[in-house]
Amino acid sequence: MDIDDILREVDPTSSGVPNETSDLQSLTRLWVAERSAPELLEWPSGGLFERINDRIKAQIEKIEILTGDMDPKTNFALIVIQTELERYKFLVRSYLRARIAKIDKHTLHYLSSEELRSRLSETELAYATRHQALLHNHYLSSFLSSFPTQLQNLNDTAGNVSMIDSPDLDAAVFIRMLRDRPVTGQGTDADITLNASNGEVLILRWSSAKSIVEDGDAELV
Amino acid sequence: MYGEQGIKLVQHAKRTLNLSHLPPYQTETVRAVTREVRDLDKDVTELLEPFQGSFNPSADQAVACTLLVNHLSMRRNKRCLLAYHRTRTDKLEELVWKGADVVDLSGQQVRGDPNAKDTPTSSLSPQEEDYVRQYSDLLAAYKGQWTDIDLTGSLEPPRDLFIDVRVLKDAGEIQTEYGAITLTRNSQFYVRQGDVERLIAQGYLQKLS
Repeated sequence: MDIDDILREVDPTSSGVPNETSDLQSLTRLWVAERSAPELLEWPSGGLFERINDRIKAQIEKIEILTGDMDPKTNFALIVIQTELERYKFLVRSYLRARIAKIDKHTLHYLSSEELRSRLSETELAYATRHQALLHNHYLSSFLSSFPTQLQNLNDTAGNVSMIDSPDLDAAVFIRMLRDRPVTGQGTDADITLNASNGEVLILRWSSAKSIVEDGDAELV
Repeated sequence: MYGEQGIKLVQHAKRTLNLSHLPPYQTETVRAVTREVRDLDKDVTELLEPFQGSFNPSADQAVACTLLVNHLSMRRNKRCLLAYHRTRTDKLEELVWKGADVVDLSGQQVRGDPNAKDTPTSSLSPQEEDYVRQYSDLLAAYKGQWTDIDLTGSLEPPRDLFIDVRVLKDAGEIQTEYGAITLTRNSQFYVRQGDVERLIAQGYLQKLS
C-alpha cells in the first residue's frame, strides 16, 4: 500500500479519476527525462501545467479548510495530503529548475533557431531573452564597449570556433524500451544494431536515442 | 607579452569555481586586458594603413603574420574576459537563487548571513551590482508565475513533512499553521519543513537528521 492508495481512500476528489493520475505520471516522466537528457526537451503542450497548477491550488485550499478541524482521524488525512502536496510541489520545482539550468547554460543556443525556441514555454522564453540581454549589457558595460566594433559580437564563428556553446548531444543516456524494436547505436569504433525487447534497459548516445524516445518506443531513465 | 594578463583572469576564474564566496573583482587586470586589445587594434590599423584596403597576404608575409598574431591575441583576450565575467555572473546568480538578493538589496536584515551579505557588497564591481539587481528582478518575475511552488525552495526530495531543527540565531517569532513559535537561540523544534525552509537557507536554523 503506498501513499496513492491511502489518498484514494480519504480523498473523494482524487479517487478513480484517471486524468489526474495520468497527469502525475506524465509529470514524473517529464521530470525523469528532463533530468537525464543532455539537451532541453520540448515543453509539454495540452495544458498539463495549467491543470497541475489548478490542482495544487485546490489542495492548498483543502488543507486550509481541514486545518481548523483537529479531530485525530481527519488530522491524519491532513498530514497525508500535506506530504503528498510537498512531494508534488517538489516534482514541479525540480522539473522547472532542471530546465532553467539548461537554458541558462546554453541561452544563445536555444534562442538561435525557431525550432529550438519552440521548445521553451512562453515564460521561459521571456526569461531567457531577458537574461541574455542582461548578460550582454553586463559584458558591454564591463569591458566590451571599449573593444573595437568588429570584436563586440557574442556570436562570432571566426577560426572555426563558434562562440555559441551547445549541449553535448553525444552524451550517454539510459533508456528503457517500451516496445520491441531494433535499436541502432553509434559507437566510437563501430556502430551496432540490435533487437531490443520491451522492458530492456540500454545505454547509448542521446543522438541515437532521441528519435526512439520521441517515437514513444522508449523512455529515459 | 601578449595575453599574459588574460591568463591571470582565467586563473582567477578557475579559482573562483572552487570557492564558496566571491573573490574581489580584478578591476586592474580587466582594464589592462582591455587596454591591450585596444593597443593591438591600433597596431593593426596602422599596419594596414599604407595598403589602402588592398592588402595581399602572400605578397608580404611578415606583415600578414603580425596581423594574424595580433588578431588571435585580441580574440583570445576577449575569450578570457568573457570567461572571467561569465564565471562570476554564474556565481552571483547562484547566490541570487539562494536568496542573497533580499539581504543585499533591501538591507532590512542587517544581521543576515555574513557570507551572503559581505560577498556581494565588498567584492563586486558596480556593473556586477547592477547585474545582481536586475537579475533578482528577473528571477522574481519568473517566480511570480509559479507562486504556489516556491521555485527557490529546496531541491532535496521531501521525505518528512515535519523535521527537527535547532535554532542557531535568534529569529524572533514566526507564524505557522499550528500557531506562532518563538525561535530563541539553542532551542529545538519539531516543525513543518515548508515553514522554515527559508530560515534554514539563511542560516538561522539548522536541520537535525
